[in-house]
Amino acid sequence: MIGLSVSFLLKVIVVLLVILFLFTVYLLFQRRREIRFAETRDTFLQNYSLPWYNYLINDENFSIVLVPRGKAQVAAVEIIFSSYLKNILDEKVEQKIKEFSNLYLKEFYEKDLSSRRWSIRMNALYRIADFKIDELLNACQQFEKSKISEEENFQLLKIYSLFQPELFIEKIKELTVHYSESEYRRLFVLLEDDIFIRLFEDFDSWTKNIQFAAIDTAAVKRNMQYIDQLKQLLTHEVPEIQIRALKGLYEIGVIDEIDPYVPFVTSDMWEVRLMVAKIFKHVPLNYSYTYLEQLLEDENWWVRSQAAKTIAENKEGIAKLQQFMESSNDQYAIEMAQESVVRKQGNK
Amino acid sequence: MKVFLDFCMWFFGGAILFYMLFVIVSYCTMFVIAMLVMRKRYKLDPSEYDDAHIDAFYSKPVSLLVPAYNEEVGVVDTVYSLLNLRYPQTEIIIINDGSTDTTLQTVIEHFRMKPVDKIVRTNIPTKEVRQIYESEIYQNCILVDKENGGKADALNVGINVSQYPYFCSIDGDSILDEKSLLRVMKPIILSDGEVIAAGGNIRIANGAKMQLGSVTESRLSNNYLVIMQVIEYVRAFLMGRIALSKFNLVLIISGAFSVFSKEWAVEAGGYSTNIIGEDMELVVNIHRLIRKKKEKKRIEFVPDPVCWTEAPQTLGVLRNQRRRWHQGLFESLWKHKTMTFNPKYGLIGFIAFPYFWLVECLGPIVELAGYIYIVVAFFLGKIYYEVAFMLLLLFVIYGVIFSIASILFEAWTLNNYPKKRELLRMVLLSFTEIFWYRPLTLFWRCEGLIRFVLGKSDWGNMKRAGIAEKEESV
Repeated sequence: MIGLSVSFLLKVIVVLLVILFLFTVYLLFQRRREIRFAETRDTFLQNYSLPWYNYLINDENFSIVLVPRGKAQVAAVEIIFSSYLKNILDEKVEQKIKEFSNLYLKEFYEKDLSSRRWSIRMNALYRIADFKIDELLNACQQFEKSKISEEENFQLLKIYSLFQPELFIEKIKELTVHYSESEYRRLFVLLEDDIFIRLFEDFDSWTKNIQFAAIDTAAVKRNMQYIDQLKQLLTHEVPEIQIRALKGLYEIGVIDEIDPYVPFVTSDMWEVRLMVAKIFKHVPLNYSYTYLEQLLEDENWWVRSQAAKTIAENKEGIAKLQQFMESSNDQYAIEMAQESVVRKQGNK
Repeated sequence: MKVFLDFCMWFFGGAILFYMLFVIVSYCTMFVIAMLVMRKRYKLDPSEYDDAHIDAFYSKPVSLLVPAYNEEVGVVDTVYSLLNLRYPQTEIIIINDGSTDTTLQTVIEHFRMKPVDKIVRTNIPTKEVRQIYESEIYQNCILVDKENGGKADALNVGINVSQYPYFCSIDGDSILDEKSLLRVMKPIILSDGEVIAAGGNIRIANGAKMQLGSVTESRLSNNYLVIMQVIEYVRAFLMGRIALSKFNLVLIISGAFSVFSKEWAVEAGGYSTNIIGEDMELVVNIHRLIRKKKEKKRIEFVPDPVCWTEAPQTLGVLRNQRRRWHQGLFESLWKHKTMTFNPKYGLIGFIAFPYFWLVECLGPIVELAGYIYIVVAFFLGKIYYEVAFMLLLLFVIYGVIFSIASILFEAWTLNNYPKKRELLRMVLLSFTEIFWYRPLTLFWRCEGLIRFVLGKSDWGNMKRAGIAEKEESV
């Protein structure tokens, strides 16, 4: 039996070594192909970067030599386009890239969409969105019907949000996969205001992640028209939504009335009290000081710390804090006030 | 006597053969899983993905902790490499762990540190903090001067001082890629906090071209000892980390560069100060906490290379390193031995712990016994030749075939060793592994086990023998 096993093991080793040898040969062959690919790509880059610059930036006439032939040259054009799109914000350049891609790159990516390799399909979806190849919208919708991964579906949503926002809203309503907040933010931030605001119309019908991402995106867009939407959410039954709405309002930084925020000073949740202590930064100190003093004596360290910071940032804040240190009996609050005063004076 | 010897030889021969088969099957399974994971990403354009999270709006702020004990030479460069990281929101906290050289003065002078009064929340009890400083040049750069208490204590102070929800521990001699933090934070950001800790793939930098603290071109070292370690790292990465991570079974993420959720790390008690492998200890404690709280959280390993490290170039330093790693591993496993086969801990108890016990921890003893068996069989005569020969063949599969397969597979997916000559050199060197490198490391690892059993520990503090010494486990 052992004799058989030894010979069996020897056979296994020989077979494995042969496989590995073949794999090495394949790898070396593949490497040579890659080197040739890189050479063609780099030659194109070297020869045509300047003509591309002249066409995109200096408005020179388009020349047919700019059109890539073969995958390596397409890779070179991708590098040129990506560098312009990442580094220059110019509608004219974007438009030219879009027109060119729709005309000359469309077929490459359409073919890539039917590749068996996931990474190739993903790269194609990235490019369709980056270069705004809207003529492939139908191909994308067709592609959606095949069995696709979550990542591919996400890229499709991004493409819809760029080319056909109505369809995008429809698609996220029907979503069966759940994306992370950060992913939804990446989608929402691209939306035009009139489409984005519709997310707030039927707010409670969305999943939690969509709700959170919508609030955070509203905050980052810093648009006055979202203030009312966020204020309405202050009375929402879910505490996390209240906190996010407070955070959003703090980030927009326009507080036109103090009354809606006062009840939060006595909230049971320290996170809410912390946010309200932050919000008071945008309110004149003579309106907010009474509440901030209350927050300075809060049981929570973060709330006390924020209240002290908010007061200290005001012009008359240091005087108020010094006054507070003399009159208060709360040792923790005094220490916090002290730190803020010292820090503020040190920065001057 | 002859009957007893005969029994022993057959029994041990059979046991070692059985063990080797078990290990080979486990490694094969993990290799196949890793292949499937890595193959999917082949040729994917990484720049799209990296850039997607470059904005603060999509990412989460991170505190970078740099513990420093007598690092007057390297600490400034480390901080510069952190300042070079492409990440929207970070703070750098340098913790001077009571250095006896001029680390403190160097940092103060170089970054124009100025003392500040700052109240620190003591989330984790630590040795006393003497003073906190803030840089006048870089607003997000803080220096904490504290009494000496070891690396774990220094990291705990860093956690206490940090203000962001995630922290990243960095060894003083790590060389980072500008995208390191983006990549290691990716699973955390994308999972909405379901991933609470993540570590990255560590690479060996010896021989690589470096400029301004970052690696510009990876080249293979000329030192055979270093090349063997490169092969060992690649194998560990393909036959372990990726598969374990897929099933949330990671017990070790390298302390050289890893990110943790502060909330979870604090609740798990922070870094343990009385143990050699404090990084493994924290990960295991977090796993315990996850099970205790019955929450759906994950600890993940990122396959992208995120951090470069200098590998030991001499046998003496390598011996010290391996001895310490193994002692640390045994110590942590022993401390948490009740988790093994404990249904309360699910797959961690039934797969991860048994795997670490059998393959990683006790493996060196069995393998070394295998080598001894082959030598003894040679002297005892023909009847044991066949068992010995079979063992040798299994060692060939285990040592040579797996190593070559890992090198080739990695070259295919990551394109890290693009030169033909380098690839062939590594493949050829793999054939020699079972004759010199493997027995040596086995011997050192067994030494580590013995030292644990004897209760020896003479490197409790953060004592580094130079740039080649790292606090990382393969």
